[in-house]
Amino acid sequence: MRTDDTGNDGMNGNFLHPSDSEIQKWMSNAFNMAKEALECGEVPVGCLLVYNNTVLGKGRNEVNETKNATRHAEMVALDQVLDWCSDRGMDPKVVCKSTVLYVTVEPCITCAAALRLLHVPLVVYGCKNERFGGCGSVLDVASGDLPHTGTSFKCVPGHRAQEAVDMLKTFYKQENPNVTKPKVRK
Amino acid sequence: MEPESKKRKGMEYDPDSWQVLPVLSDEMSDDVEFLDAFAAPITDKRQTSRLVKDLSAVHPISDLQHIRRVRPCKDKSSPHPLEVIVCLVSDVPHIKGRPASLGDLLSSDEFNLEGLGEPFPVRIPARAPLTRPQFEQASLHWPTSFHEDKRITLGLKGQLFTSRQKTKIHEYMTLAVEAAKSGREEGMDAVGGVIVDPKSGRIVAVGHDLTRDHPLHHAVMVCIDLVAWAQGGGVYGYEKHPACTYAAMDHQVQTGASGSVENAQPYICTGYELYVTREPCVMCAMALVHSRIGRVFYGVPSPDGALGTKFKIHCQKGLNHHFDVYQGVRRRSCEELVQLT
Ligand SMILES: [Zn+2]
Ligand SMILES: [Zn+2]
Repeated sequence: MRTDDTGNDGMNGNFLHPSDSEIQKWMSNAFNMAKEALECGEVPVGCLLVYNNTVLGKGRNEVNETKNATRHAEMVALDQVLDWCSDRGMDPKVVCKSTVLYVTVEPCITCAAALRLLHVPLVVYGCKNERFGGCGSVLDVASGDLPHTGTSFKCVPGHRAQEAVDMLKTFYKQENPNVTKPKVRK
Repeated sequence: MEPESKKRKGMEYDPDSWQVLPVLSDEMSDDVEFLDAFAAPITDKRQTSRLVKDLSAVHPISDLQHIRRVRPCKDKSSPHPLEVIVCLVSDVPHIKGRPASLGDLLSSDEFNLEGLGEPFPVRIPARAPLTRPQFEQASLHWPTSFHEDKRITLGLKGQLFTSRQKTKIHEYMTLAVEAAKSGREEGMDAVGGVIVDPKSGRIVAVGHDLTRDHPLHHAVMVCIDLVAWAQGGGVYGYEKHPACTYAAMDHQVQTGASGSVENAQPYICTGYELYVTREPCVMCAMALVHSRIGRVFYGVPSPDGALGTKFKIHCQKGLNHHFDVYQGVRRRSCEELVQLT
């Protein structure tokens, strides 16, 4: 489903599906963000919103500093896209219709609904989000029949999934006080 | 308690103007499922315990713990006072659909049929009822055990809350309705919300829809961020929206009822209540799970609502936080708001 049209006009629906090499490039970028987050003791999730080969939003989890439990990486990145649009007087709907989310972990139910509300057509992700996933793991918000909640979107799951899972496991081991205070330190 | 004179117009609560009902899980609100079975009269009462023992050995129903194998005969004029479940229809697949005799159900050379009359079809509840309406429906067919949750029974009758509590609920929803109207005056969707700490009665946040400014700023998302502000966090500015307010945390220290110093701040919305004019969408409903909200009251359902209509996020299996949801509060006022949008 690829066209030679550069497809920068979301209004006529010419959404350009990313090539495998593009997916690899942007996901490697997202994984680097997740690794950095893990090294700083933060939730290891990295995400990018890419519009016409340009990164418009890059997010990391900001729940702790904002005391707002919805400040997931995707929400932070979406705000950057909205700011980018308003700086240029562009319609966010038009821009988002041609924007792809690359994220190391399946978006949660809240973020999946937010992506629908903004009409993002495609999400490429690493591992499943067994606890909160909104693209099928807990609920399928991505393709659910929700005519009043924006547009459904497609997913490309499983990109470097094991690596993403391992990072999450490392993080939650650190978080769990029963694991972090062993009497014998190795 | 607010003095009477401080109460605003529209605050007066008319107990007949609305009814608050719980939004229960599908398991609790669906009709009872039944299994087809055969029962037979016990023609000789002295054989009852032996028959139950023998039947349980041939056709056990041990996975139906809620079912009593023997029931008193409903027809009081019947010559035999007791009836017993012989087997489930699924236990005897060879007799598809046709009327069965005891010989079809029990191989008579091995089973002592003494004291057992001719079998007849019955329907038995497939699982234990969870609510009184389910119990009543199930009992029409066969006796079943029922562990009643009195709160749910009262809730379904609209009697869970005292009139004093309903007055409070009415007041909080009135604030949400007023916030929705303020938002509407700014060109937003007419949806408003209020977050309350029920322990102190403190109103932590009042907010309304801001989707003209930001497509994701539904009233609930705004309220959640205002609670974050109240706790020293927060993301967005609300200076331009006078009806979006929060009460900073130190108020609670002053009004703390117990007088004890509790430094450990609850995780975001733990224990708080949300009053919102319209059923939250899936984004907002899950945001309430992430925020650990205590309870939600809403006025009217919405077409893609996620606390009853399309999903029941508050009791979704697999999620780590669940909460009670009630709907119908100030229904008419909330319906009028939907017309405005
Ligand atoms: Zn999320
Ligand atoms: Zn919403």
